[in-house]
Parts: sequence; C-alpha cells; structure tokens
Amino acid sequence: MPELTPGTSRPQDEAAVAAHLNAMMRWHFEPATGSPFWLNRTGSLGFDPLTDITGLADLRRFPDVSDELRTVPVEELFPKGADAASFDVFESGGTVGAPKRIVDSTARTRNVDWVSEVLAEHGFPATGHWLHVGPTGPHVVGRTVRHLAQLRGGVCFTLDFDPRWVKRLIGSGRTDLAAEYREYLLDQMELVVRSQEIKTLFITPPVLEAVCARSSLHERLASTVEGILWAGTSMSAESLRQVEEFFFPRAKVAAIYGNTIMGIAPQRPPEEGDEHPCVFRPYFPQSVVEVLDPDTGEEVEYGRRGQVLMHQLSHDMFLPNVLERDTAIRVRPASGDTVDGLADIAPLRTDDAPTVVEGVY
Amino acid sequence: MSALPVVNPVISGREVDSRDRSTLTGVDGMPLASVGLAPRLLAQAALNRVRAGAADPAPDASVFAKAGELFATAELEGETPEEYGRRVTLATGTPLGAVHRAIEGIRAQLGRIERLNQAELPAPFAEPGFATRWLPRGDLLAAVVPNNHPEPNVTWVRALAMGVSVLVRPGSKDPFTPRRLFAALLAAGTGPDRAALLPGGHEVGEHLLAEADLGLVYGGPAAAERFGARRDVLVRGPGRSKVLVGPAAAQDEGLLGDLVEWIADDGGVRCNNISLVLTSGPVAPLADALAERLAALPVRPVTDPAATLPAMARESGALLAEHLTGMTEGAVDHSTHRYPDGLCGDPGDGSAVMRPLVVSVSEATAPIVGTELGFPFVVVAPWHPRDGTAPLRESLVVSLPDEHAELAERVLREPSVRKVVTGRVRPWTSVPEIPHDGSLAQFLLEPKGLVSAAPES
Repeated sequence: MPELTPGTSRPQDEAAVAAHLNAMMRWHFEPATGSPFWLNRTGSLGFDPLTDITGLADLRRFPDVSDELRTVPVEELFPKGADAASFDVFESGGTVGAPKRIVDSTARTRNVDWVSEVLAEHGFPATGHWLHVGPTGPHVVGRTVRHLAQLRGGVCFTLDFDPRWVKRLIGSGRTDLAAEYREYLLDQMELVVRSQEIKTLFITPPVLEAVCARSSLHERLASTVEGILWAGTSMSAESLRQVEEFFFPRAKVAAIYGNTIMGIAPQRPPEEGDEHPCVFRPYFPQSVVEVLDPDTGEEVEYGRRGQVLMHQLSHDMFLPNVLERDTAIRVRPASGDTVDGLADIAPLRTDDAPTVVEGVY
Repeated sequence: MSALPVVNPVISGREVDSRDRSTLTGVDGMPLASVGLAPRLLAQAALNRVRAGAADPAPDASVFAKAGELFATAELEGETPEEYGRRVTLATGTPLGAVHRAIEGIRAQLGRIERLNQAELPAPFAEPGFATRWLPRGDLLAAVVPNNHPEPNVTWVRALAMGVSVLVRPGSKDPFTPRRLFAALLAAGTGPDRAALLPGGHEVGEHLLAEADLGLVYGGPAAAERFGARRDVLVRGPGRSKVLVGPAAAQDEGLLGDLVEWIADDGGVRCNNISLVLTSGPVAPLADALAERLAALPVRPVTDPAATLPAMARESGALLAEHLTGMTEGAVDHSTHRYPDGLCGDPGDGSAVMRPLVVSVSEATAPIVGTELGFPFVVVAPWHPRDGTAPLRESLVVSLPDEHAELAERVLREPSVRKVVTGRVRPWTSVPEIPHDGSLAQFLLEPKGLVSAAPES
C-alpha cells in the first residue's frame, strides 16, 4: 500500500495523488479491508468505486453520508483491514442536533505531525509547555493539541472547557451566564499560569479577547508566551494586528482551520502579495477541500467566496462530498505549491431578512 | 474621483488606521466615508490607555467653551463646518436645518457646561473644616451614542467636564459628530488620554459597557430592556413624548399649528417630538386635521436648507413603509391617501423622504401606542377623565397645552415621566437649570465628606 503523499504536493505528484485515490478506493471498498459502513452501501451507489472513481472530481458522485455519522454504531466504521483496537472515537461540535462521530487510528496523527512542521516554519517555540484553552473530551482538538505539545518538547495543560454548554447558554439568550463561564475559564487559566511557565497557547478568539481584558492574566501570559495558535471562530484583520503588535508582541501567532470531518488545515506562512492575513492550507490529499458556488456547484474563481466542500481520504475513514456550513475565499496556491488555500472562513448565512429598526434613540 | 473622507478610531489623541473598514453610505446612495472600525481588542487597548490616564485632572470649563467654538466654526481634520453639516445630513437623513441648529446647540451647551453640570447638583455645602464634594463614581464612562441627532453627544462631553474619562462608541451613521468633537476638544487642550473614539459594531458597545466603570446608552426599547436594570448604566431610551388636548383642538387653528411643529420640527427625529396625541374629544377629526397640515410639508432633498422632512436610503424607506403597513393594522391611517406616490416621497437626489404619518386608534391601549419613529409619526388616541394619568406614563415630555393643565402636578409625580410642559409652549422649551431627562451629574457623581478641621485639643 503506498504511503500518503506528504502535505506539500507538486505538479509531478499528480500521479501520486491518483495512486492515493486508487489505494483509498481499494482499501475502503475491497471486502477484505473496507468498513461494514461502506461495504453495505456499495450496492446502492449506482457505480463501482473500484473502477469508476479515477480522479478527485469523481468524488462528487458519492452521496454525502455525514448525517449518518450521528447514529451509526462506531464499530461499523472500522475498516476490516485495520486493527480495531487502535481506534478512538471523536465527535463534532454538535451545534446542529446530535454530533457526528468519526473514528481515527493514526491518520490524524500524521496530519498533526505535518502541522507541527508548519508551526516550525512560523517560528513557533520548539520547546516549552502548552496551555490548551479549548475543548477536550469528545472533541478531537484536545488530542491534537496534546500531541503538538509532545512533538514540540513540552507538556500540555488543559482546562475543563465545554463548548456545547456555552452554545446552549448563548442559544437560549443567557449571555450573562455565558460571560460568567468565560470568566470561569480565565480563573482556571490563572491557576495554571501562576505556577507554570507557558510558552505556547492554544485559544479561541473570544477567550483570547477576555484574557486581554484581564490585566493580571494577560501580563503574566504575555511575559512567557512565544506562540499563540488560535482556532474556532474568525478574527478580524485589526484584531489580529492588536494581538500581534500590542497584546502579545513577543509571540508568533498562527491559526488553524479544522473540523471533525476534514482534519486540520494550518495557516501557511505569509507570502509577499498575500491579500489575506490568514491563508489556510489543507493536508492534501488526505484532506481535499473545494470552494463552491452553492447555487451552481461549480468551483468559484480565485479571490471569490464560496461554500466549503470536503473529502476525507485516509485509511481510517473515507468521507467524500461533505458540504460544510462554512464559507471561505478560494486562494491561489502558494509559490511552489499546487494546493489551493482558504481564507476568511465565515459561517454560511442564509439571506437574513433586513429588520427595520424601530424607535428614535 | 477623489478619495473618500476617512474616519478612524482615535486613541491617545491619534488616529488609528484600522485594518477593519466599512464604507458609510449616504441616504442618496453615494459613499460618504471610509470608517475604520474598532474591534473589541482595539477597544480594550483604548480602555487600558484611558484608564491609565484617568488620574489626570479634568480640563477646566474654558477648554470646553473653546472646543464648542472650534466645533462650530473651525476647519478640523480638514473638514469645514459646512462639510461636516452636509456629511451628517446625508449620513443620518436628518434635515440640514436641524443639523445646523444642533451645531449651534452644541456650541451653546459647551459654552456653559459648568452651569449645566452645577444645575444638577445641590447647592454646595461648605463651612470651615467641613465640605461636601461631588466626585465621580468611577473613572471611565462608556458612551454609546445615537445617530438621529448630534446633540446627545453633549452628554459625554459633560462627563469629561465632571472629571470622568470617556470611551465613545458613535452611532453607525454618525461618527462625524464625535470625531469633530474629539478634534475640537484636543485642539482646545483636553488631555489626549481622557477619551477614546471607537466606531464599531454592537459588540464593541457591549464590551465597553462591560469593562468600563459606568455606561451611558442611547437606544430603543431593546436597549432599555437590556440595560434598564443596571445601576451602573444610564439608559436614554425612547422619548415617547405626548400631548393631551381638549375636545375643541380640531377646530383650534393656533393649537393645530403648534401641534404640527411639536410633531415635525427637526424632521420629527428628536426624542422630544410628540409621537402620541391624546384627546378628550373625538379622535378622527383631530387626526384628519393634523394629517392635512402635516401633508403640506414639502418633499425636498435633506441637504436643501429649507428641507423639513428627514430621508432614508430608498430600500430602507420602502422596507419601513412595508413594515408600517403591518404595524398600523387595526389603526386608521389618515395620511397615506393624501400621498399619490406613497409614504416615501422622491426628492430627486436618490433618497426617500419620509412623509408624515398620522394614525388614530379607538383605545389608548392599542399596541401601536408608544411607537416612536425617526420621522413625523403620530398616533391620535382617546383620553377620558377616568383614565387619569395612566396613558401619559413612559414619557420624556408630557405637554398639557389647554384645559387639562390641572393634571400637571399629578403627571409630574409619575415616576416614568421626565418633564411636564403646560400652555402653548414647545415641548423642548427649557433653561439650563432644569433637567431634560433626570440628572447626569447625580448618575456620574456621588457626594463625599471632607473634614479638614484640626482635631480638638
């Protein structure tokens, strides 16, 4: 079985991409190695994945089965060719209904190994402890950040951080309670940073903003932190500048875009002529990402916004044609690369009816 | 094509060329300015600077008087007073004449700022060794100011004069007034770290209100509900100003002329414009008489010095007109049939001029009662002596021009009424010594004792 092509792909690697796709089809649809989940569905596909899927564009022929991940027993997802005992299960955020479950043995670890290399290119500290101010538990990011810390010579401190509870509070209008929860996270952070030297921080923008508003915590962190990895929601260009130049001038700052389906697309190092402060680069070809016009299904031009379509092509899971609730701007590949970048990720908005503002003051 | 004027956040007396930008469009559909926005983190950076500078002494009254003069007369940040007036007019749709009156109002109020502030406090007490001092309850005030009219900006300037530092989040359509006031105050000699200007979205206002010591919010019913219960936030909510007239009002030409002015002066955009007319006579003839006179107000571009009606962007005007159709269901519309082209008039400059709308209802408890809109909009409702003062509650001003003036003391006792006017007097008639809406000074300041007598031996 050929190994995955590493993150960077060049034109001469096209054959390798085709080989990877072919290997994935054989792995997931040969009765000896495929998962019960896919083997049970082969008959209803209307085509033969072993012979009819020859290019990445063909992946769109598959149905989006990701909704079934909310209910399918996980053991049906394990490929027969893999060691079932090596799998972990993780869940999506659970914003809309029940969470989607994915299983993973080693595929995401390879993705994270590569992210660590990209962080090195960003100049992130090569040693020192991490503080993970993000979810753990069912969310794969907790394992990811712990793994990054280990790869980069430190231990990873974690907090109890429950994003589903916060979403429930905000969804039901209890914003005061959500703000109190955020303060509770800061309290937990204080207990760590008071006695431990944190070199690298994983954090979400809203919590980072709250840190900047609590001067005792901010001052302590700003004096030790040399790398800030952020994710979860977007950050405006000016907010980013404030973090880099004013609040954490000693730290390298980079973001990751990731989710349970795709894995992690880290921010690539900036280039001359970049129009966007953060350009994300997927772990191709394990993660294949397209940016579509939601009306036509066609890929949008460079520089245009579209809806994000993802395909996960790893030995641990095959998840084709998953349309995300995110939009992104499609960015030309960086020099020496052939993989498109993604910028300015934003939630998909249905056209909100404009509301009339009543009242004078 | 010349570059758009730029409005940026101001921190420590300097513009911050924010990377987050938004284009402000006028009611005529043309771009007016490129506005640099302050995200929460920039607001936090500003707050840190202002807090660090809060111990500096307050500027003295002459600084504010000078700033008022500069505001009204000088070229500031490359902007003449004429350009300023035109920009505010096009951005907010408030007629140019009203903006010019506001400029004069701001100049006058800044010129007597100490008198305004002192008027809200008890006569000073001091005898040898003992004194009462009124001092700020907090160092920092977050001020979320409105779009409809420039004058509410005087409130945060008064806070500066009382020794409180301010973080100003301007209305989304009028960053021009606070920007110009900042320039005037800095030029007049205010310390650069006493104030910061932070244009931005809703979330910036929320952040400032959470992080500053005290807050001031101009807003509609939603803001009143959200912040009304907070002791550290002063909410200047809807005005809902009312008038109660007698049965002969519909035949009283003089009174009808006054009512038209009280409803529609300054384009009806102010909080003390009348939005509810209660009558102890029949509602329909009075509503018709008002609608007829208000319909005579001409449709002109807001930048015309003779314009009296406010404007909106065309799409917003059309949306509002549609929304009003639903809102006024169950009420009788006395105006729209007078407008062959509908409620939105076309002055020919690309905007929609909002023509006056008079509706009547058969009960003062109808849901439409209490609605206040940014153009001459008035509900006429019946009042019976047995109703007493209840229909007059929740009012910035209650006007009792005629035979119901004997209710004045009772209405004034209503906690939700801020001011009562009797006789044929404009609702906004005042002198600096009487309150417009409670006491800013008693919100920002509190009394403390200072005893400096030598201990008795």
